[in-house]
Amino acid sequence: MIQFSGVSKYYDGDVVLKDISFTIEKGELAYITGPSGAGKTTLLKLIYCAERPDTGQIVVAGWDVGKLKQGTIPFLRRNVGIVFQDFRLLFNKTVFDNIALALRIHDMQPREIKETVNNVLKDIRLKHKEHVFPQHLSGGEQQRIVIARAMVSRPTVLLADEPTGNLDMDTSRNIMGLFREINARGTTVLIATHNNALFHGTGRRVLYLNNTHIEKEAVG
Amino acid sequence: MSTLIYALQTAMKSIWNEKWINLLTVLSVSIGLLILSSFVTVTLNVDSALKRWAKGFGMVVYLDEDLTGKAENELKKLFLQDPDILEVRYISKEQAVRELRLSLGENASILDELDENPLPSSFELKLKRELLKPAVVKKKAEQISRLKGVEEVQYGEKWLSSLNTLSTILKTSAIFLGCAILVAIVFITYNTIKIFFYRRKDEIETLKLLGATRTFIRLPFLIEGLFIGIAGGLISAVALFGIHSMISFKGVEILPSIRTLMVAPPLQAYILIVLVGAVMSLTGSFIAVGRIRY
Ligand SMILES: Nc1ncnc2c1ncn2[C@@H]1O[C@H](COP(=O)(O)OP(=O)(O)OP(=O)(O)O)[C@@H](O)[C@H]1O
Ligand SMILES: [Mg+2]
Repeated sequence: MIQFSGVSKYYDGDVVLKDISFTIEKGELAYITGPSGAGKTTLLKLIYCAERPDTGQIVVAGWDVGKLKQGTIPFLRRNVGIVFQDFRLLFNKTVFDNIALALRIHDMQPREIKETVNNVLKDIRLKHKEHVFPQHLSGGEQQRIVIARAMVSRPTVLLADEPTGNLDMDTSRNIMGLFREINARGTTVLIATHNNALFHGTGRRVLYLNNTHIEKEAVG
Repeated sequence: MSTLIYALQTAMKSIWNEKWINLLTVLSVSIGLLILSSFVTVTLNVDSALKRWAKGFGMVVYLDEDLTGKAENELKKLFLQDPDILEVRYISKEQAVRELRLSLGENASILDELDENPLPSSFELKLKRELLKPAVVKKKAEQISRLKGVEEVQYGEKWLSSLNTLSTILKTSAIFLGCAILVAIVFITYNTIKIFFYRRKDEIETLKLLGATRTFIRLPFLIEGLFIGIAGGLISAVALFGIHSMISFKGVEILPSIRTLMVAPPLQAYILIVLVGAVMSLTGSFIAVGRIRY
């Protein structure tokens, strides 16, 4: 589902990723870990084409991402749900509208949108906050809204960048539970985190990113 | 379809939330369109007055003193066959005196002093309207004056050329002013939409990352620009109608024939104003949104 072959990425001549190759299978739930600044976010950005690789090839859900034309990029992104490290919630829209936006982009009928968003709000147990604006929510609640927005359109791939940021253990476990559910419904999930506790004992594949390359691969 | 509805909702929300800057833009656009349309109306009116005036333009062909009736008839036949000539009127010596008498009025008695009729007989020719250009008329006059039996050809040379110059000046300045105003309308809308676009830059960035197409991103801005143009057009159409009605009502007191003299803008002209406003504003907002890169 996600395939990197010999991918390198430079920022102004500084190498961030060098000769990276790995494959994430369809239906897998995998982790990418590494210290701050290792290039986890950059690696995810390459997947949804917010950055282009300087060398190598990236294939996501059948799209050769490095070669996509500008006009095609939105169609790749509709297959990829993204939980951004910096959330990217719209503060002039309610919780409901923030989540619904992902479906409006997919040109879904208003009635269908209402039903789908309500269901997802129940899944994340935030139905009672649907008319609230994001700035009035706690960090954990905002995090769940971002996850809800990423999964509501049922993407084939879900990318989560540091989805438990600085949340307490209980909330983190809660959120990881959401990812397992999404994964169980067939979505391929890739989670980037520096927090070992998240994958410890999960039995899932973990890619260790360090010093511009994948240092090792192990089972968490 | 849902995209269009959502874009409409977004545009309407933005129009309402930013009502003051939108109102200002709409008014600027409508003032521009009003100046443009009034100027065009004035130009049309002046031009039609000039045309009406030119219609009365004639060329007088004075004949040789001793020309026979037969020769006169031949000349007349020649003129009638000429496709450039619309109307031919023969004025005999006697008629010429009668007309002169009429125009002299109470001073006509001075004609009684003369024992012989000094006036030549003549033809008055009306040329086709398309030919009423100074150079063309001059050429025609020279041609006719070379004909046998023709003494002299007279026409209002100066008058015709100043009429023509005036008409040309008016039309050229209408075109220049028109273009300047059209550009101004594009720019006014461009400016406003650009401001809105920058204010929502972060939101647009997020939309792109969520997989929004260019159309999805652009549409609300284009709709808002279109709204500005149509609203501006409607306001200026109403204003133009008001001004025109006022002039033709008040003007009657000063110049009773004003109603028949004045050319009223037809319904199509009002529709055109709205259309021009719409197209120009849409162009402005299109440029403002610019190329969207992912
Ligand atoms: N747009 C950019 N321009 C220049 N350098 C950048 C850019 N984005 C990231 N970098 C650099 O690339 C390196 C990797 O950044 P990245 O955000 O991918 O790290 P990360 O692993 O996600 O870190 P964190 O765990 O803190 O989120 C960093 O040194 C960063 O400064
Ligand atoms: Mg990061």
